[in-house]
Amino acid sequence: MDPKAGQLSETPRPTTDARRTFFAARPAPVATVDLSVSIGGLRLRNPMMPASGCFGPALGRLIPVDELGAVVTKTVFGVPRGGNPAHRLTEIRAGMVNSVGIPSRGAAGYLAELHPRYAALGPPVIISVGAHRPAGYAPVVRDLGTAGDAFELNVSCPNLDRDGTDIGSDPDAIESAVAAVRLETDKPIIVKLPVLASSIAECAQAAQAAGADAVCVANSIPALPLEAYTRAPAIGNVIGGLSGPSIRPIVLRLVWLAARSVDIPVIACGGIETADDALDYFSVGASAVQVGTASFARPFAMVEIVRTLQQRCADDGVTGIRDLIDLWRAQ
Amino acid sequence: MSPMKTPPTAAETRAALARQAAFAAADAAALDGLLSVRPAEAGPRPEPVWDEATVVNHEVVRERYHRLTLSCGTIAATALAGQFLMITVPPHGGERILLPRPMAIHRRNPERGTIEVIYGVAGRGTTALAAVNPGQRLLVTGPLGRGFEFPSGTRRALMIGRGVGVCAVMGSVEDAAARGIEATLVASGRTRGSLIGSAECAELGARFIPVTDAEGTADLPALGALLRREFAAGPPDVVFVCGAGVLTRLAAELGAEWGVPVQASLEAHMACGLGYCHGCAAPVRTDPAVEGPLVCVDGPVFDAAV
Repeated sequence: MDPKAGQLSETPRPTTDARRTFFAARPAPVATVDLSVSIGGLRLRNPMMPASGCFGPALGRLIPVDELGAVVTKTVFGVPRGGNPAHRLTEIRAGMVNSVGIPSRGAAGYLAELHPRYAALGPPVIISVGAHRPAGYAPVVRDLGTAGDAFELNVSCPNLDRDGTDIGSDPDAIESAVAAVRLETDKPIIVKLPVLASSIAECAQAAQAAGADAVCVANSIPALPLEAYTRAPAIGNVIGGLSGPSIRPIVLRLVWLAARSVDIPVIACGGIETADDALDYFSVGASAVQVGTASFARPFAMVEIVRTLQQRCADDGVTGIRDLIDLWRAQ
Repeated sequence: MSPMKTPPTAAETRAALARQAAFAAADAAALDGLLSVRPAEAGPRPEPVWDEATVVNHEVVRERYHRLTLSCGTIAATALAGQFLMITVPPHGGERILLPRPMAIHRRNPERGTIEVIYGVAGRGTTALAAVNPGQRLLVTGPLGRGFEFPSGTRRALMIGRGVGVCAVMGSVEDAAARGIEATLVASGRTRGSLIGSAECAELGARFIPVTDAEGTADLPALGALLRREFAAGPPDVVFVCGAGVLTRLAAELGAEWGVPVQASLEAHMACGLGYCHGCAAPVRTDPAVEGPLVCVDGPVFDAAV
């Protein structure tokens, strides 16, 4: 703090708040701009959705959530799970590291307590589904019945197995998980791939071959944060997942590799904070984006990005994001 | 403003780390089995908002704290005693702070539309926050969480805070003043110079009892004896406590002796403050197969009972 800085003499009492102003600033639709995107048979009004675990109905009160393309739930497991001991998250210079351990109320608890709140938000609900073995996903999807508009298979959470192995790093495991879920539902299936797959292309291709409608690339990066001086583990589970802007160039590479290896849409997820960050991903082949860590410091980040993308398209007189990227690439 | 300090020696740093580790271990042990989620509130909580709050004042208080006065009218008008804010910290000196920091609301001034928080510089986030100047705007989200509540019929209340934990109970001292409840605030700290709350208690008409490690008065047996003496004629109707697990255990023991409820406010690492990140597992014993309570939405105030 500047030692010379003193108290401001007269500050008028604020009569409103920035949240209210933000809600009121909802832009009118621009007839010539179409940001919509399809995931399988599901049409989204725009390509913006939250990353699983970084959104909940509580955030729906702070932002005009109906301006999002879709909402994504925290991962639902078949039976209740308790989650990891404290600390479940920390911040290091490289970003946020979390190992929450995916507490879940189980499929029945989700249906009874959470799904009605997600569904009431307005946008399509993508239910993130978790399991500990490839055969575990289909029964959860079956238990969820008619709830949700699409499923995102979380095959990539790096926090659950202490040895760090993921179902999503093995193309055969991905294929068997997706094939079993495909038999259970006609709704779109998204496979959320991990960062440490031996070949992201082979994993994406396995998902596509088994009938997935999209892949999401990627998840947080397995990491081990230490306290200063004592070198003690900074989180209760010792290892966790790194997220935030530092992982963006790493995930950009993965999205680029995945997008050129499959025909189904690639949803990018990794360190997006601004519309330009999202455009980076669109430029390497992403069809939609997820925002996670940025929402914590700036709850309105997702809506701000959507509004900015629409405004950029309108300003440049183009229909959509693909045209916007091509226009600037031609310079 | 804070004088230039010489950096601590390696031995001093090790001593501070040992003190922190001992405090954390004692804290965890003291809280074990003590806390439970409070029964449902009578009415709805105030709707949280986010706001671009103007920094009205930012000053060093006592030996080691910073007082931040923020202009955010909606939050000032609606915040309940014991609720908290998430403050997004602007970049400073090339440091980017990714996660907002949870801070207890120390004072509310609905007429002026301002709130105060007091914090100590402990890490990267608070170091960057300390560099914020009056006139700047900070993104804040609040009011958040479950606050302190006076049981109906409360006529006399005891508040106990350790260090910056005094701030979490100060809102209830404000409420006590407004409702004609006789309030006593015990502020515990390492030295007299570090204690918060004396001026506030004078303003609010509350009794202020300073206790310190330096004088030995903050030691648990001494503090327990002092409080038993102070309230020998008639115990308080409720005890609010924040800042140390060992103090929470002492408060719960006194509450059991006096037959009165005790409410304790906790702090935790958080990312969202709203419950959706599930980052702030509360130290409450529950079935490990089922998710336990979260500090941000089920607390930060919990019932404490031995």
